[in-house]
Amino acid sequence: MSEEKKRVSRRDFLRLAGLSAGVGLAAPRLKGMAEPKAGATYADPAARPNRPWWVKTVEEPTIEINWDKMERFNEQMGSVRGPGMAKYVGQDEVDRLKKVNAQRTTERILANEPGYSLKDQALYSSHGVRVGRSYLGPQKAATPEDRGVPKWQGTPEEAARMLRVALRHYGAAQVGFVELDDKTRKLVYSHDPDGKELIFTDDAAASETDDARYIPNQAKWVVVYTVRMSTETLKRAPTPVGAQTTSLAYNRSENIQAQLQEFLRGLGYQGLGESSTNALTIAPAMAVMSGLGELGRINRLITPEFGPMVRIFTLITDLPVATDKPINAGITEFCKTCKKCAEACVPGALSLETEPTWEVQGGWNNPGHKTWYENSVKCLTYWREEVQTNCGTCFAVCPFAKEDKAWIHQWVKGGIASVPALDGFVRSMDDTFGYGQKDPESWWNEDLPEYGIDTMKTVQEA
Amino acid sequence: MEKDNTLKIELARRPWYEWLAWVVWLFVLIFTAQNAIGSGAEYEPTAATIFWAVFALLLIGGGIVWYVRRQRLIS
Repeated sequence: MSEEKKRVSRRDFLRLAGLSAGVGLAAPRLKGMAEPKAGATYADPAARPNRPWWVKTVEEPTIEINWDKMERFNEQMGSVRGPGMAKYVGQDEVDRLKKVNAQRTTERILANEPGYSLKDQALYSSHGVRVGRSYLGPQKAATPEDRGVPKWQGTPEEAARMLRVALRHYGAAQVGFVELDDKTRKLVYSHDPDGKELIFTDDAAASETDDARYIPNQAKWVVVYTVRMSTETLKRAPTPVGAQTTSLAYNRSENIQAQLQEFLRGLGYQGLGESSTNALTIAPAMAVMSGLGELGRINRLITPEFGPMVRIFTLITDLPVATDKPINAGITEFCKTCKKCAEACVPGALSLETEPTWEVQGGWNNPGHKTWYENSVKCLTYWREEVQTNCGTCFAVCPFAKEDKAWIHQWVKGGIASVPALDGFVRSMDDTFGYGQKDPESWWNEDLPEYGIDTMKTVQEA
Repeated sequence: MEKDNTLKIELARRPWYEWLAWVVWLFVLIFTAQNAIGSGAEYEPTAATIFWAVFALLLIGGGIVWYVRRQRLIS
């Protein structure tokens, strides 16, 4: 009996000791869980968020750039979005595509085609109302001069931190900064989409005439920020439900830009914004240089946190800010093997080549970087002739376009960054698990957060 | 003759690798369940179904192993 008692006592003692040790170890962790994370309060002097462990900062972007070959791009005549399209296919073809587009839109509404019905078109059209965006901004906020106080002074890190916090508050997801030098100036358009030339000047203040926009040489910093798009709606591409995702992000960015311009004005500095969408700079290029993501096969930015589900915007300022470096998260490398976007691209506008190339497809591409150049004419023709909206299929099927609610996605992204040999397997699994485009009609039954995005994800990633 | 009031309990000690196997099994089970629930929240029915199927297989497999081992020890 006494022997049995002894045994039980010893076991009980060990059990209690184990429990105590467990509680002792767990208590600080539990306490830590109840308190805000150190990262959530921006430990970095410039408020750079903590990226996932598999994102490495590098000196050069993961695509090769030949700055000698790079020239400033004429966005009005070069791209297929504006009058440039007629240069490549002729005005008659542009007119025909416009007519086909309008005719097919009406036919699809009358046929009540899922994703193209009247409610889908109405949702798309609802973003037509714009608050407006301009190069110089609203210019209504009181300046330090108006208030009779000196303009804001601080270190570049403090300035970067201040802008990051303000921009996040206005609705931006990621913020990065690039300094304009002889190389990165080549990423500023030669002409805006409205045809106005962008000219660097020794003038202290930015200005605008009927023909040109003048950028002071002292405005040497580019603020690059992303606005998230709803993965759930863009996965309905190519339909109006998918297409309006882009419009909504552009609408939100108009407010963000105007607020940032007025904020900088209030501090005593200039904020030179985009006069329209796709103006001022080649935004994806600036985003690559500032480390917001890498350039993918789709010729757009793919971020580690949100995949391609962002739109990028830029603003030039004379407020000195701490700049950022490019990153390597294995994304461009993964694109070599994956090719899911190119295989899904109905008009065959995306390259299926494994390795990127320096050779451009046409005048709509800006040479000087090694990538998978797309055929923009094929892309735009497909928009007009077949889908009657912008497309976005390549965004929808990209394996990085995930909401990360399931833990597996972070593991997979970590694997892509660390073990490129697994890239082919990851692509196969992405297909097996059924990721990609979704039924357009089912979106109307989904219970989603504001703007269709989980804004806490931005905080959790940090 | 005095009645024996003692109860003899025999505990089979598990080797360390068996403990490890159960810990790994439990982790994979939790991981799979989280991915199944997460995929549901992402409106990804195919992924959710696959993860739930793997979860069910793991659960049944673990149950079978536990039962077989128990029967072996009892006999």
